[in-house]
Amino acid sequence: MKINRLAIYTLSLGAFALVLAGCGGNKTESTEAPASAPAANAPAGKTVDPATAGELTGTVKLDGAAPKMKTISTAAEPACGKSRTTPLTSEEVVTGDGGSLANVVVYIKSGLDGYSFPAPSTPVKFTQEGCQYHPHVAGMMVAQNVDVINSDQTTHNIHPIPMENREWNESQPPGAAPIEKSFAREEVAIPVKCNVHPWMKAYMAVLPNPYFQVTDKDGKFDLKNLPPGTYTVVAWHELYKTDPQTITIGPKESKSVNFTFKATASGD
Amino acid sequence: MPELLPDDPVTTKPMAGLVLISVFLLMLTVSWSLYDEFFGLRPWRSYQSEFSKAYSSYLEKQYTQRKADEQKFYATPQYLKMVADIKAATDAARTQDRQIGDQIDLLDRQRAAMTDSFQNSRGLVGSLTYQLEQIGEQNKNSYESKRKELNDAKAQTYDVAWPVEGNKIEARKFNYDQLNGLFTSIMTGKAKLVAQRGEVDQPAKDAQDKLNEYVKENLPGLASKDLYTLGQSIKGLDIRLRQVNVNPSGASLNNLGGTGLVDRCQSCHLGTDPLLVPVTMTLTKADLGLAKSTDAPFTSHPDQDMMKYHPLEKFGCSPCHGGNGRALDNVEKAHGRYEHWLWPLYYKENYDAGCQQCHAADMVTEHAPVLNTAKKLYREKGCIGCHRFQGFDNQDEQLVSARQAITQLENQKQDNRLQIAALNKKGDTASDNAAANAYYAEATNLTVTTSGMDAQIESLEQRSHNLLQEIKKVGPDLKEVRMKIHKEWIPYWLKNTHTFRPTTKMPQFRLQDDEIQAIAAYIWQSAITGPELPKQAPGNAAHGKELFEQRGCEACHSMGEGANMVGGDFAANLSRVGEKDNYDYLVRWILNPRVRTRPYSPFEHKDLGPEDYAKHDLPFVFDLDHSRSPNDGHELVVEQPTVMPSLRLTVDDARDIASYLETQKHADASYDPAPFMDDPKLKAHGKELIQHYGCAGCHEISGMEDEGRIGTELTNEGSKPIERLDFALYTEDAKLGILPDGKKSARGPWYDLKGFFENKLTAPEVFDHGKYKPDPMDRLRMPKPNVTKEDIDALTTFLLGSTDPSLPPEYMYKPADQRAAIQKGWWIVTKYNCIGCHQIGIGQKSVLMGLPQFQGENKQNLPPVLTSEGARVNPEWLKGFLANPALSTTDVNRNGIRSYLQVRMPTFYLSDDEIRTLVLFFEAMSSQPQPFIPQKLTPVSTAEKEMARQLFTSTAAPCLKCHATGDPGHDKTAIAPNFLFAKERLQPAWTERWITNPALIAPGTAMPSGLFNREGDRWVFSGPLPASFHGYMGDQANLLVRYMFELTPEEQRSLQSRMPSGGSGGAGK
Repeated sequence: MKINRLAIYTLSLGAFALVLAGCGGNKTESTEAPASAPAANAPAGKTVDPATAGELTGTVKLDGAAPKMKTISTAAEPACGKSRTTPLTSEEVVTGDGGSLANVVVYIKSGLDGYSFPAPSTPVKFTQEGCQYHPHVAGMMVAQNVDVINSDQTTHNIHPIPMENREWNESQPPGAAPIEKSFAREEVAIPVKCNVHPWMKAYMAVLPNPYFQVTDKDGKFDLKNLPPGTYTVVAWHELYKTDPQTITIGPKESKSVNFTFKATASGD
Repeated sequence: MPELLPDDPVTTKPMAGLVLISVFLLMLTVSWSLYDEFFGLRPWRSYQSEFSKAYSSYLEKQYTQRKADEQKFYATPQYLKMVADIKAATDAARTQDRQIGDQIDLLDRQRAAMTDSFQNSRGLVGSLTYQLEQIGEQNKNSYESKRKELNDAKAQTYDVAWPVEGNKIEARKFNYDQLNGLFTSIMTGKAKLVAQRGEVDQPAKDAQDKLNEYVKENLPGLASKDLYTLGQSIKGLDIRLRQVNVNPSGASLNNLGGTGLVDRCQSCHLGTDPLLVPVTMTLTKADLGLAKSTDAPFTSHPDQDMMKYHPLEKFGCSPCHGGNGRALDNVEKAHGRYEHWLWPLYYKENYDAGCQQCHAADMVTEHAPVLNTAKKLYREKGCIGCHRFQGFDNQDEQLVSARQAITQLENQKQDNRLQIAALNKKGDTASDNAAANAYYAEATNLTVTTSGMDAQIESLEQRSHNLLQEIKKVGPDLKEVRMKIHKEWIPYWLKNTHTFRPTTKMPQFRLQDDEIQAIAAYIWQSAITGPELPKQAPGNAAHGKELFEQRGCEACHSMGEGANMVGGDFAANLSRVGEKDNYDYLVRWILNPRVRTRPYSPFEHKDLGPEDYAKHDLPFVFDLDHSRSPNDGHELVVEQPTVMPSLRLTVDDARDIASYLETQKHADASYDPAPFMDDPKLKAHGKELIQHYGCAGCHEISGMEDEGRIGTELTNEGSKPIERLDFALYTEDAKLGILPDGKKSARGPWYDLKGFFENKLTAPEVFDHGKYKPDPMDRLRMPKPNVTKEDIDALTTFLLGSTDPSLPPEYMYKPADQRAAIQKGWWIVTKYNCIGCHQIGIGQKSVLMGLPQFQGENKQNLPPVLTSEGARVNPEWLKGFLANPALSTTDVNRNGIRSYLQVRMPTFYLSDDEIRTLVLFFEAMSSQPQPFIPQKLTPVSTAEKEMARQLFTSTAAPCLKCHATGDPGHDKTAIAPNFLFAKERLQPAWTERWITNPALIAPGTAMPSGLFNREGDRWVFSGPLPASFHGYMGDQANLLVRYMFELTPEEQRSLQSRMPSGGSGGAGK
C-alpha cells in the first residue's frame, strides 16, 4: 500500500516533469521556428525572453502617384522570354491597392545593443527567372547563406556591388548549381546587377538582427518576438527616402507604426 | 704607565664623530656610485627590467589565450574530421603499406646478403675482362687461357645466406651472372615498390597537407609552445647592452666618420629587436599595458614589411632616424637632441626624411607617404619654379647640355675630317706599302667613327625636340593674358591670391599696391594681342556640366567652394573661373590646351606671327610636325607649356563646357577699373619686379623666356650648416625656444634646420622681422606658399632628408634592374597625373574613385585599372595608344578601346621619350622581360574554329552581349572592349588568366568570374557545351584565346549573325 502510493507519487512527479520538459521543448522550438526569431541558444549576449516580447506591425505607403514602370525589351535575349507570359517591366516602384508600397525593407536600426542573434541555418533563395530577380529585394541576416539560383536558359552573372562588404562577381550558366554566398557585415542595401542583362537589378539587405521584413504589395510588415525596448525603425526603399521612427515597446506590447514615402520626381 | 700628556689629541680630542661622518659619507658615495653604476649611468637597465616584466606578462596572457584557442580549435568538428580523415586514410593504407614495407625490407636484406659476394665476383670478372682485352686476340694462346680463366671466374659460385619470405634464411649458391641479375632485379623491384608505397600513402599525405594548411589558415601566428618558450626567455631577460654593428666597407654612416656604425638603440627600444619580438608579431604600448605611459620605448617597428628591405644588420637605426646611436647616458643624448650633435632624431612628423637620404631619385617611394606628398607639393605648388632640385623637372638644363653636346660633336667631326685628309695624304706619300696601308686603315677607321657621330647627333637632336615638348610650367602662360583674362581681375588677383581661390598653387607675394600696378602693367602691355580668336557661339551650360562631371575633368580640377569642393587638387579649382576668363579663349583652351597663338623662337627670342611665315610664302601653321622656324630653321616652341591634355571634344561640347564654366562665379563679383595697366611708364618697373620675384619660374612671360630660377638650390639643403641659415633677429630666441609669436616652444630650442624650414614655410617674411629695409626690393622675396600645416611638415621632412650623399654609394637607391624603369616612370606618371583617373599601384586610389558620380554600381564607369597593364598589353600597341588614345586620326571624339565609357582617356601629347619611359614603366611594374617578344600561338584548326564559333554564339556564353562588336545598335549597350583589338593589343597569357578569373586581376570588374572550371590541368567552360566539344581534351580557355587572337571583322560579323537574337539591339531599344 505504502509502496504503491510512493510509486504513484514518483510516477506522477515523473510525468509532471515530462510535461514540463515537453512544454519547454515546444517553447524553444517555437522561438526557433520563424526566421525572424533568435535561436534560444545564442552563444553570447542577452537572449530574448519570449514571455515579455512584443510585436511591431505596420504598413508602408507611397504618397503620390507611382511612376509608370518601363517595359523592358528582351529581344536581345530570346531565352528571357521563354518562361514568361507578361512582358518584363522594371521593378523600382511596385505598389498595391491604396498606395501600399512593396520592396521596402523595414528594420530595427538601433536599440538591440547587448543582444546577439545567430544567423539562421536556412539559406535565403535568390532566383533569376525570366531574366528578373526573385525577390527584387532580398533580406538576410549577417552570415546567413543566400542561394543564388539560375532558372533561365542563359548565362547570368551575379554582381553585388557593396560598400561595406566584400565584392564578388560570378557567372552562372544555365543548369549550374546554386551559388552559395553570405555577407559578413550589415548593409542596407547592396545593389546586385547582372552585367550581361543590364536591366537586371536587385538589392540584398544584410541585417545583424532578425527584426526585418521586406514588404509585399500590401505594404504590411510584422516584426514579432521583439524584446521590450526603444528602437529606431528604418524603412528603406531603393528610390525614395523617409525618416526613421523611434518606437518604444513595453513588455508584451504590440505597437503599430506606418511609414509613408513621398513620390518624388527624382525617380529616374 | 707613563702619564699621558694632558694635550695629547688622541686622548683629549676623540675623532669618533668625524670618523662616523666620514663613514657615512663614504657609504653614501659608495651607494651613490653603485646606484649610478647600475641605474644612473645606465638608464637602459631599468628600461630592460620594465620591458621584461611588461612583455612577459603580455606573453603569458597571449599564451593562455592561444592555448584556449588551440584547445577550442582542436575540438572543432572540422578539425576532428580532418584528423579522422588522416587516420582513416592511414588505416586504409596500413595493410598495403606494411606489405610493401615488408617487401622492401626483404629486398634490402637480400641485397645486404649478396653484396660481398657480388662485389667480389664483379671485381674478379672485371679485372679478368680487362686483362683479356689487354692481351688481344692475336696472342691466341694466352688469350685462350685467359678466356678460360674468365669463364671459370664467371662460373664460380658463391655461398649466400639468402633471406626469403617468412623471415627464413636459405643457403644458396649463385654464380656471377645470377648475382648480376639478382642485383638488377632487386634495385628495380625496390624502386617500383617505393613508388607504389608513395601512391598508397598519398591520400594520407594529402589529408595531412590539407590539415596543415587548415591549421595555418585558422590558427595563424605563434603556437602556444613557442609563446611559452619566448615568455620564459623574456622572464629571465639577460639585462645587457644591446647593439647593432653596421660595418659597410669604408663607410662613414650618418657623417659619423670612421669605418662603421654602432647603434645601441635596442638597449632601450627592446621591441625592435627581432630576437625578442618576432617579426610576425607587432607590439604596441597598449599590448604591454603601458598605453598611457610617455616613457615606454618598447613597441616593435611599426612597418615590418619595410624592415624586410632594410634589415637591421645592414642599416642600423640612426642612418634612417638620426640621433646618436652610441650614446646611452640619457634619452636626450641618445636621441641626439643636444647642441653638439648635428643629426638629431627626426620627430615623428618627419620620419620620412630618413627615406629621402637614399631615395632622392624616386618621385614615389613605397612606405613613405609623407615624402611622396612633399615631392608632389614641391612640384605642383611651384617650389621648383624658383628652387632647383636635382632630378626634378630640369628639361631646360638638359636642353642646354644636349645642345652643347651637339656642338661638341660637330666640332669633333670637323676635326676628324681634317685628320682623315691628313692621314690619307700621309699614306699617299709613305715610303713603303706597309706604312701606307697602315695610314689608310687608320683613316678608314676614323671615317667610320665619324659617321657614327651622326647617329649620336641625330638622337641628341631628337632628344632636344622632345625636351622642348616636355618643358612644362606650373602656372599659365601670361603671354596670352589679353586674350584670356578680364583686365581688371589681374591686379585683384595679385593682391588677393589666396582669398579669391583658397586652394590655388600660386603663393601670395608681399606686394605694395604700386608694385602690383607695375607688374600688372607689364604683363598686360607685353602680352600678345593676336591674331584674334574666332568668336564662339554660346553653348548649353547644363550639358556642359554633365560633360564636366562625366568626361573626367574632376580627376584634376575641383569645383565648388569650401566644404562643397569636389574633385582633384592637381589643377585649379574652377569655382570662380567665370569671373576672370574670356569665353572664346576658354573654348579654344578646352578644345586643345596645347594650341598657342604664336610660336616662340628661342633662337630669335621672339614670338613669331603670320608676318614671319608670309615672308617665306608659308601658311601660318605650326605644330609638332611643323616645328621649325620659317626664318632660320631652328626648333620653335609650338605648344603651350601645360600638362593639360586634349580631351578630343567636338566644338559643340567644348562650347557647352566653357558655357558651364562661365556660369561659375559669385553673383556680386565686380572689379575696380585698372587704367594704370595701360600706363607705359609703369612697364619698366614692372619688368624689374617680375625679374626680382622670379615670376617666370612658373609662368611664360614675354621678354622673360630665358630667366633662370631665382631661389637657392635645395638639393642638399638638409646638410646646410646651421650658421648659413639666416635666423636674423631670431637667432637667440630660437636657441632659447621662444617662437616668433613670443610663445615658448613646446619642444624647446628651435635653432636647427627643422625650426628654420618650418618657420620659413609658415611665414617666409618672418626672418625680416625687426630689420630696417626701406626699399621693398631689399626684403626677403619668398612668397607665402599656399600650404597647410601637414604640407609644411611634409616639405620640412623632404628638405631635412635632402642631404649630401654621406652614406656609402651602395646605400643609394639607384637600381640597375627593372626597378630603374619603375623609378623613372613615376616621374612621368605623376607629371601628367595618370593616377587622377587610374589605379596604377596596388591599393592606390584614383581621384575619380572617390567622386560621387563613380560610386556603387557606377564604379563600372571608371577608367580601367592599370595594375597589370604591362602584362596585359603588347608594349608596341601601348606606344601607339599613348600617342593617340583614339586609335584613329579622323574619328577622335571617343575612346579608342573603351568607346562605351563616358570618361575620356585624353591625348597628352607626350614626347617620344616620355612614351618610351611609360611603356617601360608598365612593363617593369608587371615584371615583363625586355625586349618584348610576342608569344607564339598555335593556330586554330578548322575543327577548333567551328567549336569556338559555336561556343561564342551559344546562350551559355555571354561574351558578345557585353563586348562591343562595332555594330552601332549593339554597341549602345556594350560595356567591354571589342574582341578585334585583342590581337594587336593583348598578351595571350594575360588574356587567359583574365577570362578564367578576372576578379583576381581587377576586383570589382564587370567581367564575371567562374566562366571556366579547372579540371585536372586544363580549363573547361562551366556552362553547357556545344556537342562539337565532345571528346575535346584541349584547354578550352586557351582555345577561346587563340580564336580571339585570330578574329577578323568578317568572322565577327558572321558570329553576330549566328547569335540567337542576331546579336544586335540591347535593352536600350
